[in-house]
Amino acid sequence: MFTMDRRLKLQALLEGITGAKKAYFQPPPSLAMTYPCIVYERDNTSTQHANNLPYRNMQRYQVTIMDYDPDSQLLAKVSRLPTASFSRHFTADKLNHDVFTLYF
Amino acid sequence: MAEIVWDQTGDRIYETGVDHGVLYIPDNLGVYNTGFPWNGLVSVTESPSGAEATPQYADNIKYLNLVSAEEFGATIEAFTYPDEFAQCDGTASPAEGLFIGQQRRKSFGLAYRTKVGNDIDATDYGYKLHLIYGALAAPTEKAYTTINDSPEAITFSWEVTTTPVDVPGFKPAAQLTLDSTKVAAGKMAAIETLLYGASATEPKLPTPGEIITILSAP
Repeated sequence: MFTMDRRLKLQALLEGITGAKKAYFQPPPSLAMTYPCIVYERDNTSTQHANNLPYRNMQRYQVTIMDYDPDSQLLAKVSRLPTASFSRHFTADKLNHDVFTLYF
Repeated sequence: MAEIVWDQTGDRIYETGVDHGVLYIPDNLGVYNTGFPWNGLVSVTESPSGAEATPQYADNIKYLNLVSAEEFGATIEAFTYPDEFAQCDGTASPAEGLFIGQQRRKSFGLAYRTKVGNDIDATDYGYKLHLIYGALAAPTEKAYTTINDSPEAITFSWEVTTTPVDVPGFKPAAQLTLDSTKVAAGKMAAIETLLYGASATEPKLPTPGEIITILSAP
């Protein structure tokens, strides 16, 4: 079951990785972000069933590191999270984007 | 004589699902008078065995078939198990939080419910209650694996053999099934009150004789 508490714990975890309050959950396009930062959004749910009901849900998030530095210090920190899996890298507007999926 | 017709509306019946698992621990007299909810039940696979035919020949023909006794077995799969099941899985707990393996395995009873559906009411059509007596769980592996990038909860699995209990008027049996689409609602409710308990009564697994008595009442 998804709970707000759980998502806020992830927010705190990612803020800890950035070393500042620069983790943004599904930010609106109008938000002025400062870099380096982490942007994340919920993109899937893993569900296991028992007793004819969903018994256990885990939220999957797409976590994107945005940094002008191609050797971002955040890369190693995010990749060490237990359920993190590197997905892809791309550059846009001179910003390096490293995309991970993360169950939390 | 009416003509046979297949798959009419309302007759397209199927079975699915499993829930309402209850573990019953017998007392010293073998009475299953305490029940505990089994959370996280994933599947119960019924695996009867035996009833194998042994042909006998005489006078150059197949003279008869001797059939061996039939036994009931099952495999239970679940994400977790009631604390009280530990003693049935060979685990003793001499102190709170301490568990010692390779101990004597206690027999247990089990009840679970499966859904009966049809093309009109889907799975609201009815259900079956399955009652298992004299069950004994065999040791099985528990495969703990690392957390990874596609995390899943592990499931436990137990193979169960049974010792049949007396059934008045019939051969001993280890498995009873009740079908809510055929049993009167009042009688079904009475049996479920026994199985699941009520505000003033503890859950218990009634004997086959008690169930037959309830169902035979006018």
